[in-house]
Amino acid sequence: MLFKDIRDYQILFLACFLVLGIGTRDWTIHPEFIAVAIATCVITQLLLSLVSGKGLTSNIRSALITALGLSLLLRTDDWRTMAIAAFAAIGSKFIFQIDHKHFFNPANFGIISALSLTHNAWVSPGQWGEDWWYVLIFLGTGGLILNRIGRWDTTAAFLGAYSFLEAMRNMWLGWTWDVFFHRLSSGSLILFALFMITDPRSIPNSRTGRMIWAVAIAVLTFILRNYFFLPTAVFWALFILAPLTMLIDTIWSSPRFTWLKERKVINPLLQVQI
Amino acid sequence: MNRFFRLLVSLLLVVIVIFNFTPAAWAFCGFYVAKADTKLYNKASQVVIARSGDRTVLTMANDFQGKVKDFAVVVPVPTLIKKEQVKVAPPKIVERLDAFSAPRLVEYFDPDPCAPVYNFSKALPAAPMGRAANRMDRKKDSSLGVTVEARFNVGEYDILILSAKESGGLETWLHRNGYKIPRGAKELLQPYIRSGMKFFVAKVNLDKFDESGQQFLRPLQISYQSAKFMLPIRLGMANAKTEQDLILYILSPKGQAEVTNYRTVKVPSNVNIPIFVKQEFGGFYKSMFEKTYIREDRKVAFLEYAWDMGSCDPCSDDPLNPEELEQAGVFWLNGNSNPPPISPRFRRPYPTSGVFITRLHVRYSRNKFPEDLMFQETSDRESFQGRYILQYPFTGELNCSAGREYQQSLFRRKEKEAQSLAQLTDWKIQDIRRRMK
Repeated sequence: MLFKDIRDYQILFLACFLVLGIGTRDWTIHPEFIAVAIATCVITQLLLSLVSGKGLTSNIRSALITALGLSLLLRTDDWRTMAIAAFAAIGSKFIFQIDHKHFFNPANFGIISALSLTHNAWVSPGQWGEDWWYVLIFLGTGGLILNRIGRWDTTAAFLGAYSFLEAMRNMWLGWTWDVFFHRLSSGSLILFALFMITDPRSIPNSRTGRMIWAVAIAVLTFILRNYFFLPTAVFWALFILAPLTMLIDTIWSSPRFTWLKERKVINPLLQVQI
Repeated sequence: MNRFFRLLVSLLLVVIVIFNFTPAAWAFCGFYVAKADTKLYNKASQVVIARSGDRTVLTMANDFQGKVKDFAVVVPVPTLIKKEQVKVAPPKIVERLDAFSAPRLVEYFDPDPCAPVYNFSKALPAAPMGRAANRMDRKKDSSLGVTVEARFNVGEYDILILSAKESGGLETWLHRNGYKIPRGAKELLQPYIRSGMKFFVAKVNLDKFDESGQQFLRPLQISYQSAKFMLPIRLGMANAKTEQDLILYILSPKGQAEVTNYRTVKVPSNVNIPIFVKQEFGGFYKSMFEKTYIREDRKVAFLEYAWDMGSCDPCSDDPLNPEELEQAGVFWLNGNSNPPPISPRFRRPYPTSGVFITRLHVRYSRNKFPEDLMFQETSDRESFQGRYILQYPFTGELNCSAGREYQQSLFRRKEKEAQSLAQLTDWKIQDIRRRMK
């Protein structure tokens, strides 16, 4: 049933951003690549679910979210690259899992796979510009979703730690504060903080664990961006630190997140179905 | 004194715009008639960046118009630079890149074309030109924390590579050595010092300049190895009151380059405009650029051209040959232009020359561009050009019914052209309609 699952909101918002981005920003994005991303994600999800014995009931919503995330962030001029990214993204959920929990964010894994395995993928960190209008929309809608799924703490820890480090660096270098704000008001960074490191299925279960994990990503992003000059620093930081989730989960154990819990509140009947 | 820093990345300026009407060249996609090159702007710096991997060759065009003895430039560079890393490039090379990549006007004729009339020459008022700093004392002063890392001569330039510990020391050193740097420069020097950058300082060696018999200062070309793919623009804005135009030509073996910390936006292109614009294409482009710039809130970088160096369509100038590319800083061709390795599965259906050019036009001001420009190369090989189309109507007898329909469609077409022009520029629709008659 539509909008009974919190992920439906996520799908709606990501789709809105995509439409907004294509409509108002100067993106080199082809509609057919979005179709390829969606088709590949959904088919891979279905096939791997079958193979792994989970049956076809498994979630199309997650596959759609991954496909939209890829379309928003990954740029390429070859549909095959998009297909590889989408395949790797969904595949990672089935391969890299411990105790039925996958630890790579699928879209992030797809992006890193495309960047490192093909020669024609890139990410445009400047694509959203720094308009506050967009920032507010991001914050508002992201906040809405996060409130509902209770994982806003990762966003806060990540953005807090990252802003702090950037502020320190800015002060030490002696730049004026508009440099600092300009560096933080990047639409891509906020999109990442709100939609990518908050995926409750792949991040640590306990709040302490999540905070430590998010701060670690912020520190690594800061280092990669400022000392290795990687424009794609955030994605690499998340990719490198994703396996840490498992370690953190064993140290700070906490009940695992399940979408079912949320559904139970909204529509208890669904629980019987799945 | 404040002019000194204005010359930073820069070197401004040009003055008289002459639309050098190049002999018309037929091309598959329209008939090329005019271009809007950098001579349009009276404060345009031109910089060529050839980059592959972490190697960069940076060429700064020198449009300095004052007395050569007054010329001096200070550029923050990411690494120490040795003599063999600095060259002077032929002045023509930047002009060639400009001409090749400039936004262009093309024309088409409805069947039975009438002959177009060519007559245009347009001039803009000359801009006042600045002078730069003075003679320099060759004294080293280590108590200031400034170290002269290298001192050498290349072509008509005397070059110093400085490293500094404190911005105050560097400021004093520059003052003592005759460089008049503007107030507020100290604060701007500090971030560069602290992030480990060195300073490339060049002035003209008058004896060498006279010996060379050159009329103008040649572009300086620096090559270095660094993961930093950036261009420092903040120093140049130390006391600039108005916005400055920067035209960047980025040459890459892969594909388009883009700015990573500001949006990169394509200039409006492929628009049909009234044919009278041919007489004032320069004015049209300037007005259109200004309007687009304001619409984007003055804070984006504009893409004016992106194309493989192997071709152009229509051509506003011949593509650069391998020798010229080498002069422009391209170092990865090795005689036989081998494109970068592309896995067989992803081989592209069309040939590549091994060099992809991106022309970015950044109009920056202090309040909208607080941070230096950072770039990245992408594998985007989509071609783009600023291209504006003139469509000439058929002017012969029209007696048949199809002819009457054509005439009616012509009316609608002209109105549409007028509307597009009014939308793109700040020209008034009434004036446009009047001029179209």
